[in-house]
Amino acid sequence: MELERYQEFSARLHRKVVAQRVPADGVIEVTWRCPLGCVHCYNNVPISDERTRRRELTRTEHFRIAEEIAEAGCLWLLYTGGEPFARPDFLDIYTHAKRQGMLITIFTNGTLITRKAADHLAKWRPFAIEITLYGRTRETYERITRVPGSYDLAMRGIRLLLERGLPLKLKSMALTANKHEIWEMKRFAEDELGVEFKFDAMINPRIDCSDSPLAARLTPDEVVALDLLDPRRMTEWQSFCERFNGPVLTGERADDLYHCGGGITSFAIDPEGRVSLCVLSRRDTYDLRTGSFREGWEACVRTVRSRKTTRLTKCVACEIKAMCGMCPANAELEAGDPETPVDFLCHVAHLRAHALGVAVPPHGTCEYCEGGERYQELLQSLARVHAETSAEGPAAASQD
Amino acid sequence: MAATGTAYVKTGEFVTRAIAGELIVVPITAGVGDLDSIYTLNEVGAAIWELIDGTTTVEGIVAAVAREFEVGNDQAKSDVVEFVTSLAEAGLIRPVPESQV
Repeated sequence: MELERYQEFSARLHRKVVAQRVPADGVIEVTWRCPLGCVHCYNNVPISDERTRRRELTRTEHFRIAEEIAEAGCLWLLYTGGEPFARPDFLDIYTHAKRQGMLITIFTNGTLITRKAADHLAKWRPFAIEITLYGRTRETYERITRVPGSYDLAMRGIRLLLERGLPLKLKSMALTANKHEIWEMKRFAEDELGVEFKFDAMINPRIDCSDSPLAARLTPDEVVALDLLDPRRMTEWQSFCERFNGPVLTGERADDLYHCGGGITSFAIDPEGRVSLCVLSRRDTYDLRTGSFREGWEACVRTVRSRKTTRLTKCVACEIKAMCGMCPANAELEAGDPETPVDFLCHVAHLRAHALGVAVPPHGTCEYCEGGERYQELLQSLARVHAETSAEGPAAASQD
Repeated sequence: MAATGTAYVKTGEFVTRAIAGELIVVPITAGVGDLDSIYTLNEVGAAIWELIDGTTTVEGIVAAVAREFEVGNDQAKSDVVEFVTSLAEAGLIRPVPESQV
């Protein structure tokens, strides 16, 4: 036997599963239903929606799928929603998956976590539980969730998990309605509760392509200002750039449409049993109600993953992809097809690169590159972001 | 140091997974530490792990390993005792009182 540091083990196993195309990373959305009505959510449906509930996989179907994905090599499994605890049988589904020997993470808003549920999780300990916090104050939190009383329920959920020493992490989506409380949320998580905190500002349209969540999205200036205000985040971006920015791929993978782990080591299963490359990629799926996971992984998912680009866009030769949220799934949702560049993401990536002092080599006709029609606007943005962040100071720095 | 006349039992429920050529011990119930570290097994380790059942003594495991892997008794004993001791120190197994074996 060898006792190995988890991080080293994880890196080593990931290298092996990539080489062997083993579906080691899975995501299962157990339901799209949720008791909250968050303004920015990409997939939520009211918790009482009976039509949606009737179409969800049954508990027995979930048991079978958990057995099949474990047999195929899944080790890291994420249960998410909607809100997983909106299903009264979620803990049965979770426990059955635990019994297959998977390391399970749960994404939840925490509002439905009861004492009984927390006790169960303390016995059947998850790998991680991540609760999304929408604001530090009740007013801001409930302006986003649109459900009175939800803030107190989330705080109760957090307390119940912490009292049992469960591996809790907090996170937030930075939105127009809560951007002023991001640093307070970080302080609350790290200093008051002693748990990890992270946030993301990348909002995409709903999975039916409705753009309603985009009204809550920060501007590119605001997104990059948040980067600049957090020294740790800046360090992480710099390290990420050093590792992943660079010349585009050459050889037989140069024209691959997908460059992520989707279909190589990862997959997603929606509440109705359709398996796909990821939770955002909905165009091509395999119905697990008509066949096995292995069949879906080997046939449909492999085929989707092997797709090639059909035209030369500015994204193909872009060397700052690591700083950009652009991917075929995001492009499908926001631009209508998997290859059309998403203007918002391109704007953020170029602004971020300038803010970090990272060179942006020419990559075709790009509005945000030198000579491009929005280049001057980008430089003005940069000046504005620098001015604002210098005046405000590194709000987060004082916490470290 | 594990005594050869002692039997050991696992402290919780575990599943052994074989993924991409790795044998991994995954704890599924409470009673073991957080996953800041993880246990991987080689072929001999996997065989020993299976034999830790609350009734087979270390001596019995040594005999089984010597037979299955065609090694001398002294070599098998050294490997098994070292392995069982490390499992016990990691909290994955505990000795069973003699009266319960």
